[in-house]
Amino acid sequence: MASETAKRILKEVKPILSLDRFEAKRRVIKLYKAWFRQIPYIIKHFDIEYNEERCQAKLREEFTKYDTIKDIRVIDMLVIKGQMELNEASQKWTTRRGVVKYFDGGGHIDPKPDCFMAKFLSGKD
Amino acid sequence: MASILRQITKTLRTSSNRNVVACNFARFQSTETSSAQAPVETRPTVRKSDPMQRTQLKDFGKYVADCLPKFIQKVQLTAGNELELLIAPEGVLPVLQFLKDHHNCQFENLADIAGMDVPSRPNRFEVIYNILSLRFNSRIRVKTYTDELTPIESCNNIYKAANWYEREIWDMYGVFFANHPDLRRILTDYGFEGHPFRKDFPLSGYVEVRYDDEKKRVVVEPLELAQEFRKFELAAPWEQFPKFRPALASVEEVKTDKKE
Repeated sequence: MASETAKRILKEVKPILSLDRFEAKRRVIKLYKAWFRQIPYIIKHFDIEYNEERCQAKLREEFTKYDTIKDIRVIDMLVIKGQMELNEASQKWTTRRGVVKYFDGGGHIDPKPDCFMAKFLSGKD
Repeated sequence: MASILRQITKTLRTSSNRNVVACNFARFQSTETSSAQAPVETRPTVRKSDPMQRTQLKDFGKYVADCLPKFIQKVQLTAGNELELLIAPEGVLPVLQFLKDHHNCQFENLADIAGMDVPSRPNRFEVIYNILSLRFNSRIRVKTYTDELTPIESCNNIYKAANWYEREIWDMYGVFFANHPDLRRILTDYGFEGHPFRKDFPLSGYVEVRYDDEKKRVVVEPLELAQEFRKFELAAPWEQFPKFRPALASVEEVKTDKKE
């Protein structure tokens, strides 16, 4: 029974990019550094209203959001998507909205109106 | 004279000769006999089945399965005359290269790459290559499978047309193609998240976009929909008694002599 479960967990899979955890970690750090270096250019080009420190904190937040993920393949997939997004930002394909959207989520959304008057005033049902 | 006649009738009575005579007779009345022998058509269709073409396709499917026994898992005919090769994902490049370069195939034209998502399967995505042989005027479909995290080899080096098709599959389903020269989004907007053709992608999407007057810009917010609006009645209003209409057996497996 135990060996069966072990077999199921240790399924042989095809790697996406990285063969072990260290390689995956190196890729993540490389991507982080690339984004970090790109921040001044992004602020300048997209006319971001936040300063550099705020953007760096945001970058850190975007990376630490996935702290719990340990699967190498999932990390690789996220790195690939992150690289694509960095490419879109640095090549100026995306618009300002595409970069500023990182600052949108989280606490920015107003809490849902509960009483009748608040619903009426906000126009939300 | 009587003995000669008896001799002739004896030869005529033997079975082989009788067959010949019957055949000749049949040939004289060919129109009538063919109409009598044709199978009764219970489901008339505009798409006539051509037995000759079917046998040719079956033979070709068997031939390919014999040539590439390692990769081809199943050969089937769908909708009467469409040959499908179901292959293992490791075999995408060898099979496509074979079909393109072999003298009896010459499928030089990649018509399309399609994707399919069936979330209940362990390998939920199907990737389907539709290829065309201009030399033999025939089409074939090559199907393979993968899941969210397993990459498939890009066939860009075999078919140059695969470049944008694979980008499309990547964009719509999130199937990663290894060794693709330029894998990035092609249909969705920059900054779009998710893969819209996945079955678990909601019809309304995950985010909504509106102009914020205070911030003086467009903001992206997670979609807030009342739950009752998310319940869609997807059952068709017609065909309420499916048991009186058995499903058409559109898929027919071609037997290949595979050594297990």
